[in-house]
Amino acid sequence: MHWLAVLPPEPERQAWVWRALRFTPRVAWVDEALLLEVSASHRLWGGPKRLLRRFFGSKAAQAGVEWAQAATSLIAIAVLRLAASGAQPARGLLHDPATLPLHTLGAARPHLATLARMGCNTWGSLRALPRAGVARRFGPGLLSALDAAWGEQPESYPWLSLPEVFDESVELMSLATSADELLWAAQRLLGLLQAWLRARQRGVLACELEWQLDLRRLNGVALPTHQRLVLRTARPTQGMAHLRRLLAEQLARTSLAAPANHLRLRTLETTPWAGASASLLLHEQSKGEHLHELIERLSVRLGAQHVLLPLARADHRPEQMQRWVSALGEVGAASRPAGGPYPVDALYPTWLLALPLRLQVEQDVPQFHGPLHRLSRAQRIEAAWWEANLPARNAGQMPAHSAALRDYFVARSAQAGWLWIYRERPAADQDEVHWFLQGIYA
Amino acid sequence: MPSIHLQGFAPDAPTQPLQLPHVWRAQSLALAAGAVLPSGFAALDAQLPGGGWPAAGAVELLQEPGAQHDWRLLLPVLGSLVAQRSGPVVLVGVPQLQVPQAPGQMPGLMPFGPALAAQGLPPERLLWVQADAPAARLLACEQALRCADVLAVLAWLPRLTGCAPEALRRLHLGALDHGKPLFLLRPASARQAASAAPLRLLLGGVDALELRIFKRRGPPLMQPLLLAAWPERLAATLAARRRPAPRVARPVVHEEGVYALARRVAA
Repeated sequence: MHWLAVLPPEPERQAWVWRALRFTPRVAWVDEALLLEVSASHRLWGGPKRLLRRFFGSKAAQAGVEWAQAATSLIAIAVLRLAASGAQPARGLLHDPATLPLHTLGAARPHLATLARMGCNTWGSLRALPRAGVARRFGPGLLSALDAAWGEQPESYPWLSLPEVFDESVELMSLATSADELLWAAQRLLGLLQAWLRARQRGVLACELEWQLDLRRLNGVALPTHQRLVLRTARPTQGMAHLRRLLAEQLARTSLAAPANHLRLRTLETTPWAGASASLLLHEQSKGEHLHELIERLSVRLGAQHVLLPLARADHRPEQMQRWVSALGEVGAASRPAGGPYPVDALYPTWLLALPLRLQVEQDVPQFHGPLHRLSRAQRIEAAWWEANLPARNAGQMPAHSAALRDYFVARSAQAGWLWIYRERPAADQDEVHWFLQGIYA
Repeated sequence: MPSIHLQGFAPDAPTQPLQLPHVWRAQSLALAAGAVLPSGFAALDAQLPGGGWPAAGAVELLQEPGAQHDWRLLLPVLGSLVAQRSGPVVLVGVPQLQVPQAPGQMPGLMPFGPALAAQGLPPERLLWVQADAPAARLLACEQALRCADVLAVLAWLPRLTGCAPEALRRLHLGALDHGKPLFLLRPASARQAASAAPLRLLLGGVDALELRIFKRRGPPLMQPLLLAAWPERLAATLAARRRPAPRVARPVVHEEGVYALARRVAA
């Protein structure tokens, strides 16, 4: 067994716990020291010396904090206390603690005076006393502590673990007046989030960034205490690159109502994440980001209503045959919602006008950059006669839902190429026919 | 003066053109630097360096005002791309309609799914990015090229302002880096502007697609290339409608009949 006892300075206690949890799951607070049991992690980290070097990070950090190592936890705490009080014990592993003074044993502290009068000043002298007498006089706790110190009894403490939900806040060194300064502080929180995700083996789907405003009122208007920003992504991730880019894009679009002094990041939604296995074949390794990352970034930059996917709809009117939906909502779905098969026809034009354009008619010939010659015979479409016509019909405007009674033609214009036009069959109260342009063949 | 006779030199050997691998003669087309995608038109493949569209890099297609032929030219190669691999084809922007359009409205044109599906490109494989400003369109192109799943990017840049040659060069380098074809569709007035795309074509014509390749790795094409402008089924349907209707044979009248009406009425 290899136990480490560390005495971290007061403001860094949480960070030291997180760092210790990276190396071993057996981390506990005992009295004032942080205890780690690392014998099971030696092989992973390449040996005890390498582990110590990785744990402390650098020689300077190792020299800057009080620490001790021993074969059992109580010996380690005792050596740590000796070092903290100024005496310089040997830095190697102590297997035989007989010479340690008794005031370093936590269980013996209430009985120090009595033991001193008996002449017991070291651990060895206490252990030499008859066991039944010690148990009767001082209680079984001292006896079990002695056994644990010599490694004859297993030691167990309430082990620490990472919280269920990541919720960290950091105080900004100076008031942040613009979103860029928030971004800099948020990078650190994202780094902590990544460490938490790795330790808990989870991937993050949604997290929220919240900053606390410094002012209560500005220009006579009462300000809210906090402002929030939610980051969502379609696939769980442990790497922070995509979240960092999304955060940068969103922060570039938000303005702070007042200077901010605290920043808080918490996760809203996480899922257990095992990591994806990548292929070793070179041509299968895809360099670059995923599609959902592209869609999310473009949606933040240009607006979610400008990044679109088509969905088929069962309708005979050409403008209703497909519906463009925002890609952001569809990207999380494993498969596209089947909107029905497309009516596949080579006679349809590849470009469709969103609103059909009313054409001028001269001598019964529709005009669009010149007279239009019809190339095909009529294709009659009558649909949606059950939808009542909207009462107001502006000239040239087409209502969204109305009965479609149309004859479609392919027409040729000398200057605009081949077009798809239709003649609207007149309703009962109209005399003239209207021609509309709806598609362009490309 | 006696002529100097050099040992080993045969002056009668016919001069052969040099066939060294790194020597390029001005009349020949270059080999493609990388993989190519067959364009679906044999006459066009013969004129493109390497025998097809470059699989990575920018290609500029300039369209004359009038008929548009963007989908007709690109649907075969896009159809083969989506059939082989998975991933979307990204469309950035739309061509400009030749009619006045109120600002803030839905853009005038949109791709029509059933027609694209009939010619080999399923609409579920499309991702359409709308952007008005040229800078936003260029940014969308750049981001789409960086994505590993995207197969190809088609961008319509109908305005000359905002598309600086440096920006297009950056797009071309991005397309080369990430190994994706980028098709830039611009108006014919951009012909005079410098461009970093190694292949530039001019499209025109109404009934037949007239193609002029004025920049490629090789000599420019002097004569226009004529391709069929319209899909086969559309052209066949319209041609059938133009033909006169076949004459229907008169029905044969039976002389001997058991029907009362078949007998001649005796005068």
